[in-house]
Amino acid sequence: MAKPAVILVGADKGGVGKTTVSRALLDYFIAHNIRTRAFDTESPKGTLKRFHPDVTEVVDMHSTADQMKIFDTLPHTDAQVTVIDIRAGLLSTTLKSLRDIGFLEAAKKAQLTFTVFHILGPSIASLSEIDETVGFMDDAHYILVKNFINNTTFFEWDPATYNSYFRKIKDAHDITIPKLNEMACEQVEIASVPYVSFVANKAGDGEPGNYSFVLRGYVRHWLGNVWAEFDRVKLIDMVAPEVQRKGAARQA
Amino acid sequence: MQRRTPIFIVTSSRPRVGKTLIARALTEYFCAQNRPVGAFDVNPDEFKLIDHLPAYTAAASLSDTRGEMALFDQLVLEDTVPKVVDLNHQLLDRFFSVIQQIDFMAEVRRRAIAPMVLFVADPDERSRQSYAKLRDRFPDLPLVPVLNESVGRVSAYRAHFPPTRLGGEPVSIPALSPVVRSVVDRQNFSFVGYVQKTNDKTSELYEWMGRVFISFRELEVRLLLGEVTPQLRHSA
Repeated sequence: MAKPAVILVGADKGGVGKTTVSRALLDYFIAHNIRTRAFDTESPKGTLKRFHPDVTEVVDMHSTADQMKIFDTLPHTDAQVTVIDIRAGLLSTTLKSLRDIGFLEAAKKAQLTFTVFHILGPSIASLSEIDETVGFMDDAHYILVKNFINNTTFFEWDPATYNSYFRKIKDAHDITIPKLNEMACEQVEIASVPYVSFVANKAGDGEPGNYSFVLRGYVRHWLGNVWAEFDRVKLIDMVAPEVQRKGAARQA
Repeated sequence: MQRRTPIFIVTSSRPRVGKTLIARALTEYFCAQNRPVGAFDVNPDEFKLIDHLPAYTAAASLSDTRGEMALFDQLVLEDTVPKVVDLNHQLLDRFFSVIQQIDFMAEVRRRAIAPMVLFVADPDERSRQSYAKLRDRFPDLPLVPVLNESVGRVSAYRAHFPPTRLGGEPVSIPALSPVVRSVVDRQNFSFVGYVQKTNDKTSELYEWMGRVFISFRELEVRLLLGEVTPQLRHSA
């Protein structure tokens, strides 16, 4: 059995497009035939659940029962990858409780692989959040995300300041989520389907959709760029190395 | 074989080279055969094609996403209705950057749609560059230079617009005398209406239309038959 991989997607503040990243990740893994499940911590009703109802369960990270539902099932689940969309502001608290339940210890012993996508906000305070998080990240892949999806994001910090934080972290990567055309973004929200379904012009029930070709084109172009970023940091290698090998063997 | 839907994109990189005249004549070329046609007047502000052919033309400004949808969502329809796009020089870059961003070429490959660009040439160096850029950026898109004999001395700049592999040889449009041009430019003038009314088959305009329509027919054949082999082109 392959080592299970856990991915946390979190941000210190809301409105930075955190769920966008989770959705793009789910689409990416599913497109790569990697069995994936997701937990949406925006209890009681989650945004991620709305877009990916088949693989997503809504949980309350403060509840021990729900924590057990996520972590105690790891050795038995069919899913190779578990994506957890962490509610805004709860990233460092979640990391603390992961340490307390011995999860980080398990990652250290290489019983599982642990990856954190940290969506940066526009303020300097957001960078100091990296400091708070980094203490937990010794045995994790740490990916900092600059999200430009809605273009309202204006980063107050300059590259030099950012780099001084970035360099403190061992084994960190940073990726950029490009801007997506506003109307395309809005129509995907209204359609409430995965990006991949929108591009393929499919409605939530699998029936043919009636989306604008122009908007689908924008989403396809954007998703291609986002996935290229995931490829660049070798995400598949991180979470499912044996899938990569199988793929390579098939090619050979 | 499934019938392909042709799209003719008439454009230039400089104003006043006869682009709208050519788009009008091309739209009426289809009307003259009683074939359905859809024309699109792609201009930032001043619409001309739509004034001439209001029954067939839709205006599209590309100023926002809605404008892009009004145009491109129609252009990807596989309805076999030929489309004529009168693309203003100021929107040339915008139009093709949208084509690139929404990956229009991949979509037309998937569907039975055949686009072709008719690039109205002129002596300006920027036009030469703009033509070369378009050719390099979209190798899959048939690109045909249109040499309008009303625009400068064609022999002086013809070499700036070499034929492309998919587009083929340049098409020539004869010059119209100023008097005839002023008649044609009247808003209520229609080529089809003129042919129906006139008895004089030797008039300048009649001959002009004859030559231009033959060129259009040839373009349509080029486009719908796809790539013509070089041998065939030489023997022609």
